[in-house]
Amino acid sequence: MTDPILEMRNISKRFDTTQALDDVSLALYPGEIHALLGENGAGKSTLIKIMTGVHPPDRGEMLLDGKPLTLNSPVEAQAYGIAAIYQEPMVFPDLNVAENIFITHRTRSPFVNWGKMYRDAEEILSQLDVKLDVHESARGLTLAAQQTVEIAKAISLKVRVLIMDEPTASLSAHEVRQLFKLANTLKQQGVAILFISHRMEEVFEIADRVTVFRDGKRISSKPRAEVTPEGAIRDMVGRQIDELYGEHATHARSDVLMSVRGLGKQNTFDNITFDVHRGEVLGFAGLVGSRRTDVGLALFGVEPADVGEITFEGKPVQITSPQQALQTGIAYVSEDRRALGLVMPMSITANISLPMLREYLSALGIINFAAETRTAQQFRERLAIRTPTVQVPVAKLSGGNQQKVMLSKWLNARPQLLILDEPTRGIDVGAKAEVHHMIRDLAAQGLGIILISSEMPEVLGMSDRVLVMREGRQMGIFNRAEATQEKVLAAAMGQGYSE
Amino acid sequence: MTNTLRRYLRPQQIRELSLLLLIIVVLIFFSTQIENYLSPRFFNRIASDVAIIAVVAVGETLVVLTRNVDLSVGSIVGVTAYFMGTYLGNNKDLNPALAVGMAIGLGAALGVINGALVAYGRVPAIITTLGTLAIYRAALVELSGAKTVVIDAMPKWVQDLPSQTFVSFGGLDVRPLMLTALIVVVLFQLVLSFTQFGRRLYAIGSNPEGARFAGLPTERVVFAAFVLCGALSGLGGFMFLARFGNITVVAAQGMELQVIAAVVVGGVNIFGGTGTMFGALLGAILINILQQSLIRMPQISQFWINALLGVLILAAVATDALILSRLRQLWARTSVQMTEGQAKRIASGK
Amino acid sequence: MTRISERFKSWEGLLLVLLVAVVAFNIIESPVYLGGQNFVNLFQLSIEKIMVALVMTFIIINGEIDLSVASMMGLSACVLATLWRLGQPMVLCILVALIVGLIGGAFNGFWISMAGLPSLAVTLATLIMYRGLALVLLEDKSIGQFPQWFNDLGQKALFGPLPLALVIFFVGFILALVILQYSGFGRYVYVIGNNRDVARYSGVRVQRVKMSIFIASGFIAALAGIFLAARLGAVRGSTAEGFELDIITMVLLGGVSIFGGTGTLFGVLLSILLVLNLRNGMGLLNISGNAQTGVIGALLILSVLVPNLAARVQAEWNRRRAASQPPAAVKQAVSAE
Repeated sequence: MTDPILEMRNISKRFDTTQALDDVSLALYPGEIHALLGENGAGKSTLIKIMTGVHPPDRGEMLLDGKPLTLNSPVEAQAYGIAAIYQEPMVFPDLNVAENIFITHRTRSPFVNWGKMYRDAEEILSQLDVKLDVHESARGLTLAAQQTVEIAKAISLKVRVLIMDEPTASLSAHEVRQLFKLANTLKQQGVAILFISHRMEEVFEIADRVTVFRDGKRISSKPRAEVTPEGAIRDMVGRQIDELYGEHATHARSDVLMSVRGLGKQNTFDNITFDVHRGEVLGFAGLVGSRRTDVGLALFGVEPADVGEITFEGKPVQITSPQQALQTGIAYVSEDRRALGLVMPMSITANISLPMLREYLSALGIINFAAETRTAQQFRERLAIRTPTVQVPVAKLSGGNQQKVMLSKWLNARPQLLILDEPTRGIDVGAKAEVHHMIRDLAAQGLGIILISSEMPEVLGMSDRVLVMREGRQMGIFNRAEATQEKVLAAAMGQGYSE
Repeated sequence: MTNTLRRYLRPQQIRELSLLLLIIVVLIFFSTQIENYLSPRFFNRIASDVAIIAVVAVGETLVVLTRNVDLSVGSIVGVTAYFMGTYLGNNKDLNPALAVGMAIGLGAALGVINGALVAYGRVPAIITTLGTLAIYRAALVELSGAKTVVIDAMPKWVQDLPSQTFVSFGGLDVRPLMLTALIVVVLFQLVLSFTQFGRRLYAIGSNPEGARFAGLPTERVVFAAFVLCGALSGLGGFMFLARFGNITVVAAQGMELQVIAAVVVGGVNIFGGTGTMFGALLGAILINILQQSLIRMPQISQFWINALLGVLILAAVATDALILSRLRQLWARTSVQMTEGQAKRIASGK
Repeated sequence: MTRISERFKSWEGLLLVLLVAVVAFNIIESPVYLGGQNFVNLFQLSIEKIMVALVMTFIIINGEIDLSVASMMGLSACVLATLWRLGQPMVLCILVALIVGLIGGAFNGFWISMAGLPSLAVTLATLIMYRGLALVLLEDKSIGQFPQWFNDLGQKALFGPLPLALVIFFVGFILALVILQYSGFGRYVYVIGNNRDVARYSGVRVQRVKMSIFIASGFIAALAGIFLAARLGAVRGSTAEGFELDIITMVLLGGVSIFGGTGTLFGVLLSILLVLNLRNGMGLLNISGNAQTGVIGALLILSVLVPNLAARVQAEWNRRRAASQPPAAVKQAVSAE
């Protein structure tokens, strides 16, 4: 049994009042791909931050080759051969590939030796069996190519421990394959790899060992052969899948609320065709990067489609702006609360009324604060938002409550069709259940709901029908009865890439 | 298109080549409008004026590359020109090298204040340099007692400096000011292309958070850029003194607008990350040519030059934002196709 | 009213303290300081700048900047003067000058809101452009000899001891206050400045709002330029040069963040009073206008530097406090990652 390269022992870390990590231990061995599973908030990111020197642990120790290690900065971690690549790689678009690879290098000479840089870059890329022109500017690189550059960067720093944090989130199936090939190459070279992912199928394809975190604690750590997906989910969630979603009762009616035919947007998605009925929950499944969000944004008029027809309540409509979408009766709850959903320093009240602010204005354009506040209080009750008052800035709320404010904001717009994009991402299990309950209630009231979700159990548990997308193409629509995880996943990942 | 050709004909190069073309077109146009336009005297006139702007523009480019801006360069030029003029008036035996060094040092010191506030104080560059523009100029007016520096009070070598000729190509003289500017442009272009410091400027302008994350010493680099900009402005101040001789307290007031115009028109992106010294030089040349030519056209009031300057800046920024970025995407997309096509060929070959 | 953050209560409190200190100092220097006439004189020299500061507040809260306001003030004054010299009735001159302001503002607004160019670059270009046009009109000449009634607009006490310009400022302040803090438009201004994408996703017509405030900026700057011409009695190509420094300083010193999304007009009012009293006091000390400008420049830098440093000091203090506390046994359901 070889010794681990990097060992974390009894690591604990607290942020404000949250115990992010509680007495966690993990060992990374050379030539082993170690998968780390856990829901959001389970502590994975915190562990990575400690490993890469961003934060020091409160308690516990790190051992590198058996010797104690303290890191004061990411640069130090890199010097020890610990590197991380993330979902969003950091490239410098105005520099070329070779420069991007070597950007963190501290060379002795203040001068740049271009010839050597290009040669070394080409060598590393050939080691990884990748064809990229090192002279090319990094600007046009696909996300996958950027990640390749990041990996090349790590190799140039003689990486011994490579942490991959959700690297496949925005990759196509083909690109995921390429990435796994790279990972295996590194594995053969003796690098220890920590692979964090929400994609169960990927984990089971590539990992040698599987560790599960939940609520900041390590729940289990076993060789892959001893782990099953159901068991892993049970460890992650603490309950069986069906417990999470309970009995499903469909509220779908026969009348079609919205009809979409041949919706397409250049270089984004193509030929999307479906119907949504009143009271129906239509799930949109697919791996992240399948462009489901883009379809949602097109339906909401933020990034309108180029071609296709949309019929709403029997009438053809053209949706070219969010105001138009709202007027038509469509609302879109985005996946990123902070960047796209809420104005953080503003109060709950102001956030909720924002899309419909016109309705709260008097003749002169003055805001009717009393009416606004009443609305906010109504939603606070209806959605059980936990807050002392509705004047509190939303930045101070927990993730789950922020999500509820977002939902309130859009429900206040009285939509007929509600598009929910990853509505339960980043919120704890309890709040998740509340959101699901709410979705069912809304469907029962006759709303049409499009549920975009990357969590397979959620999509399968909540939907009446499931539309599967892959790389901007529609792969099929499954009825609830025929939609199994395997079928949906197979559709989401395609049958190979022979096109 | 072969890889090599693509490599050397990137959008940035196309931008600069079209600027060169524009300069030629402008020269041709004015030569049809004005008598004796293309004369050696004209060349020398332009060369000396461009020289000063070019030197300061090199400094400004260093700052703009990092996604910052320095509006105080005009005040720094004025302060150093005036200070050196007064000092030399009272110390005629000062060693020339020392004199130039003092000017550079004074400019660098003023640059240190800018750099410290922006890089370490985290005060946005626009605010900092808007403030120091006023502070430096106010200090100059107050501390100088509003006297005028007179050329006759200068040591002879300063008075003669602009007219010394090193080499002459049939009437086109290579004079000290122009030579200085050329050396500065070439030197700093080499710095940009071949030193870590230069590459870091691009990196910081291209992706500031990424640069910090990658462990680059961002604060130090930005600080250095402002110090160098100040130093070069100091050099420009000395050149200003030599060229104009009679310096008042409002010397070089408004020069920052010309310098920024030269930089922006020269293809240095106002958002940082792209641009070259060569481009800045071309920008300075174009603007100066337009300025000098308009003066010689009696039909058009010379006061149009400022309005024209504003239009040029707007045109340059609009072009870069709207056209150049699309050109870059197009460029990148063709390269991506190449590499994915290559990848597929390799994959299917296995 | 939406409470943005407690932090601004303390910023305005600080301004109040500084204001009291400066006024106290001024009173000591000159006992007649608090007389009614002096109150008017306080505002006299800067009345046009503070008008523009009101609309600049909207622009900066919206996350943009308008460097061209001073040049527009000069341009509108030059347009007015040129037309007057050409023998046109003064009322027409005023009207045309205002229209020039609208057009200039719309020009800025077009490039910034429609073409999406950065406001820093655009208004830097128009700063040069509008000043250039002003110089083309007046070259190096000076035009004056306006009708008496016009001069009175700027200087003469028309409402009790208050000149028209001052009255317009106060009315403008109330109007701006109502619009910014109490109206839907004002809320849109804040939201866009805070997070442009959220605004767009929430159905806010971002382009329209931006275009409106830049047109307003051009118009108010033109109006201010007209009052400036009236007060000075004569116009040059360089009229109002450099005014943008004072105007921006007044807004930023008032607690409006350069990054947008926060700030109140009440804070800007306090900062205006502070800057005016400061200039007045410096004048009493015989500090030249030039040196005063230098002080304003320093004030501008400090208005951003001091909160930065204070925030960092507080963050450091918080960090040390948290590190020295015993770890809590109970974990709260707050999302950490």
